[in-house]
Amino acid sequence: MTRASTPAVVTAENLQTHFQARAGLVSALAGRTPPAIRALDGVDLTIGEREIVGLVGESGCGKSTLGMSLVRMYEPTGGDVLYHSEPVTHLKGRALKQYRREAQIIFQDPYSSLNPRLTIGQIIEEPLKIHGIGPALERRALIARALDHVRIPASTHLDSYPSDLSGGQRQRVAIARALVLEPRFIVADEPVSMLDVSIQASVLELLDELSRELGLAVLYISHDIATVGYICNHVAVMYLGQIVEEGPAEDILAEPLHPYTQRLMAAIPNMTPGAVRSRIELKGDVPSPQNIPPGCRFSSRCPFATDLCTSVAPELATLADGRRVRCHLYDGAIAEAYPGLTPPRAEIAA
Amino acid sequence: MTALQDLNARLAQKPAARLEVKNLCVAYGTFRGPFNAIDNVSFTVEPGTTLGLVGESGCGKSTVVKAIMNLLPEATTVTGDVLLNGKNILGLSDKALQQVRWTQISLITQSAMNSLDPVLCIGDQIVESILAHEKIPYGLAWARAAEMFAVVGLPAARLREFPHQFSGGMRQRAVIAMALSLNAGMLLADEPTTALDPIMQDQIMTRIRGIHEHLRRSMILVTHDIAVVSETCETTAVMYAGKLVESGATADVLQRPRHPYTMGLQNAFPKLPVRGTSRQPLISIPGTVPNLLMPPRGCRFASRCPFAAALCHAEQPELIQSSDGHAVACHFAERAPEFRLAARQAETWRAKEAAI
Repeated sequence: MTRASTPAVVTAENLQTHFQARAGLVSALAGRTPPAIRALDGVDLTIGEREIVGLVGESGCGKSTLGMSLVRMYEPTGGDVLYHSEPVTHLKGRALKQYRREAQIIFQDPYSSLNPRLTIGQIIEEPLKIHGIGPALERRALIARALDHVRIPASTHLDSYPSDLSGGQRQRVAIARALVLEPRFIVADEPVSMLDVSIQASVLELLDELSRELGLAVLYISHDIATVGYICNHVAVMYLGQIVEEGPAEDILAEPLHPYTQRLMAAIPNMTPGAVRSRIELKGDVPSPQNIPPGCRFSSRCPFATDLCTSVAPELATLADGRRVRCHLYDGAIAEAYPGLTPPRAEIAA
Repeated sequence: MTALQDLNARLAQKPAARLEVKNLCVAYGTFRGPFNAIDNVSFTVEPGTTLGLVGESGCGKSTVVKAIMNLLPEATTVTGDVLLNGKNILGLSDKALQQVRWTQISLITQSAMNSLDPVLCIGDQIVESILAHEKIPYGLAWARAAEMFAVVGLPAARLREFPHQFSGGMRQRAVIAMALSLNAGMLLADEPTTALDPIMQDQIMTRIRGIHEHLRRSMILVTHDIAVVSETCETTAVMYAGKLVESGATADVLQRPRHPYTMGLQNAFPKLPVRGTSRQPLISIPGTVPNLLMPPRGCRFASRCPFAAALCHAEQPELIQSSDGHAVACHFAERAPEFRLAARQAETWRAKEAAI
């Protein structure tokens, strides 16, 4: 791959997280178990030091499940999560607690992820207490440093409550809470989608700076592909539990190849006067992860789907420029089966 | 002519409405005193045009919609005029309002999840709103509902289904069908795509634009997404902290903003990269929105504005309209070209942040 050769911090290898749905009364009596919800179904992804990887896709595609599986809030049902090449997939007890010092998560909604009855100081101190770090004095120094990282003055805000803060400040506190344990890997799950546009930029900028200054590996999860372009070096696009396209951010944003990525990009309104967005029309809705279509998962909605697509599942094929695409149009299979059919190219630019 | 064609023809005759909002003020009653959610807002929607009302959470844009529809809670002080085709509809009695709501002005609500009745099938909900205003047989109302479903791209067979059987996007389309059912001259759309996925958002907005082209109703589109406004609306009004700060033709307001807040909003808005061009960095606006329980004496944006002078903190600027129809509430509106250049520099805003 053509990625900057930073050492890998976290790697997902053929990662699967399936959930067992509860059977309804009739099925339970008949002894039938419903099909598993295949939220993650074979994901390969590497996040390196000082790297921000963007993960985009529609709701329900498995982005958050991937984030939560990587920080081991979920235990994957197959494949592996490697942290510095060591498997952490099935860690338990003390070893799992130790891994969680290294891998932290920031949630979407800073209005519900902070306890309203604790002061900012107490909120940030909690992870330190859980991990039994330091006497109170040392903890105070660590809290002050974490707040300093997120540019919230400790002197004035240590004893205030979340209700005294604006949405942007709250999200900074949530970031400080994640940073206080000095992790090497952070999952930021839609960290700016609840914030107003005018302050989004400052939180994105902060993530970018922290990644560079502290050498953090960051997985930035978002449904807003436009924000991804500002902070991510590398982008992965998910559809129905799998990565369908992955590569350097500028390549994917400027010239998406997979029909799904093309549609996702064309959905973004353009402010440039006179710009025309060419959209490919998708059929129907996203299928249920309990009932995944045979062949390519996107074939049920893809306007370019052929018989081949509905029968044979494409692999994530690596192209000459190092990017990876899961589509028969690009792995040569279509060209072989249907000579003359050329891959669609979307025009994104004005 | 069938009865349905007859009904359709009659409804199609309704002209697009003209809406004029004059000096609208809304104060919510709270335990800590009046909360001035809207302060002296005036704008006009010409027949058949779309006005985009943009601003961030808490700026009062949804309150404007609620005030127009007379949906505010009782302990609210509302003053000013809302003239629908020249007739003031503010503070009408419930009975008089029934002649206005849905027949002349209808609402596409923000959260389609909560605006449908879970125990009635979708068709019956649309029929209910038609029968509340038209003395026609049930079957005819059902046929009209089926036509509205076709307009929003839903199969008529699904009228018999319940809201939980619909996806979020389909529910939003059902709500749009309901708002169109009596072909009201004025449509209010309050964040119609906010809770939806990007592709669904795009499909709904394309649908709304198509309906607007086709039916030529007047519309107010309330949103925080300036890109949606730039693609959909002829005119744009920008609100900040309960006041209208800028309004005019969309291209003027978004491409050549004259208010520093609109400039800041532009810079903070994430855009897709275009290959071969260097991209502007995202710049956030420092500071926070003032508390409207104690609104500042001067310009409400002064505490966050990098160009604020002593005058801005002392005196509120009036919304002044220039000859080209572009209105702006800024003491230094004539210096806008110079401000626009400076506003593109991240340092300009960073210096303000340091000063706060």
